[in-house]
Amino acid sequence: MPPSIPNAASSAVSAVTHCTWSSIAASTNRSIITSQCHRIAGFSTTASRPRFTKSRRKFRLWINGAGSVFKKHKPDGPNYLKPMTGAASPGLHPFPINPFYRSHPVLDEKARETVWRKVMQEGEPIKAVSAEFGIDINRVAAIVRLKEVEKDWEIKGKKLARPYARAMLSMLPTSSLGAQYQNKPYEAINEVHVHPYTMQQIYWPTSESRHFTREDAAKAFHKDMLSADKRVPHPELIQMEKNLLNGMSPHDAAAEFKKAVMESEQEAAEKQVAKAEREEKYLTRVKSKRFEFRFKQYNSENVGPQGKNRKTVGWRYGAPYYDRQKDHQIKIPTSVP
Amino acid sequence: MVVKIRLARFGRRNAPFYNIVIAHARTARNSKPLEVIGTYDPMPKADPYDDSGKLHKDIKIDTIRAKYWIGVGAQPSEPVWRMFAMLGIIEPQFKKSERREPPPLPETIKQQLIAQAKQKKQN
Repeated sequence: MPPSIPNAASSAVSAVTHCTWSSIAASTNRSIITSQCHRIAGFSTTASRPRFTKSRRKFRLWINGAGSVFKKHKPDGPNYLKPMTGAASPGLHPFPINPFYRSHPVLDEKARETVWRKVMQEGEPIKAVSAEFGIDINRVAAIVRLKEVEKDWEIKGKKLARPYARAMLSMLPTSSLGAQYQNKPYEAINEVHVHPYTMQQIYWPTSESRHFTREDAAKAFHKDMLSADKRVPHPELIQMEKNLLNGMSPHDAAAEFKKAVMESEQEAAEKQVAKAEREEKYLTRVKSKRFEFRFKQYNSENVGPQGKNRKTVGWRYGAPYYDRQKDHQIKIPTSVP
Repeated sequence: MVVKIRLARFGRRNAPFYNIVIAHARTARNSKPLEVIGTYDPMPKADPYDDSGKLHKDIKIDTIRAKYWIGVGAQPSEPVWRMFAMLGIIEPQFKKSERREPPPLPETIKQQLIAQAKQKKQN
């Protein structure tokens, strides 16, 4: 297929108008008029000549030949280019010259619905759902939150971008869940956050007879440091494994795990309620015609002896505020209100 | 020199933010004050997940220090006065009151006036 030249007709028309305009302006010699016709370049509605470059030509040859399978995507799964260098799993690398970028499977619509149903309708704790399906706690929470928004929109009659979601999911590798049977874990859920205190190398002499546990290791790093067993997202899973090792039946161990997880969620909820109550205690609400004024009690003696404590209220004097510095302009929220 | 309780404007263009400060009256607005006792964010905000259209304004204030400074004679500026009045620290500057009716005229004067009016009509 030869490259088409758009606006061929309109460019001819514009050339004619240019000539007429210049003929009125000059109106002396025919040869001058024609030469001016060629020289006028001030304003033109003519589209620039599309360049048919070598790379474009090569791309066209490829897409009509070997690459014709990539013209339209295949339904149900990704249709990525083959990696140029040897990669472990072909078909999961969307960028052919970057073998390190792997496209991870996303949870499909049904899986997300299952997670939402388990949490919101069956009332299971988020941690239990996370452990059951091997999905990170944060991801479970995010799924539930977004599903809630979706349901809310449906009730309000807002239109959802279903065709877009369907198209995206059909192009990406997906992972599904079966609520009835045992699933392969979706991702690692019990990763320990690398605390900066643990990044140091310490020479810590101990006697050979001493039983040096994770608790001791944590204390070696810092006096307030918790052990890795307590810092993981699911310490209850560790307890469950310990119970199993001690000879408890799997059924009982699972029941105990569920109980512990429920208690921990209850505790977290109570903490949140207590925090809200504490904040409300120091808050005075005054309603005016248009706004509610919220006066929060504050101890102005928090400024410290130098008056530069970080906890102090308000704009600080004599301290630079870097909000317009290049590195400080990241405005992505880091928490969910 | 008079000690004032007033606002010091910080923040950015179109994004004001005020410190509620104790300062000598003749010092510059944003100069270092004697004390910062709170902040006032005049930009109305909605609560997260609340689309009812209700807005609120956040004020942080150390009421104990505010009462102390009022007690020793610091003079609040008008906006600060309004805020303190909302908290009940001081009386409102401008009280809303009922419309005043003039006291009724004594009977004798009333009759005189009526007689005068009648005479005018006859003329």
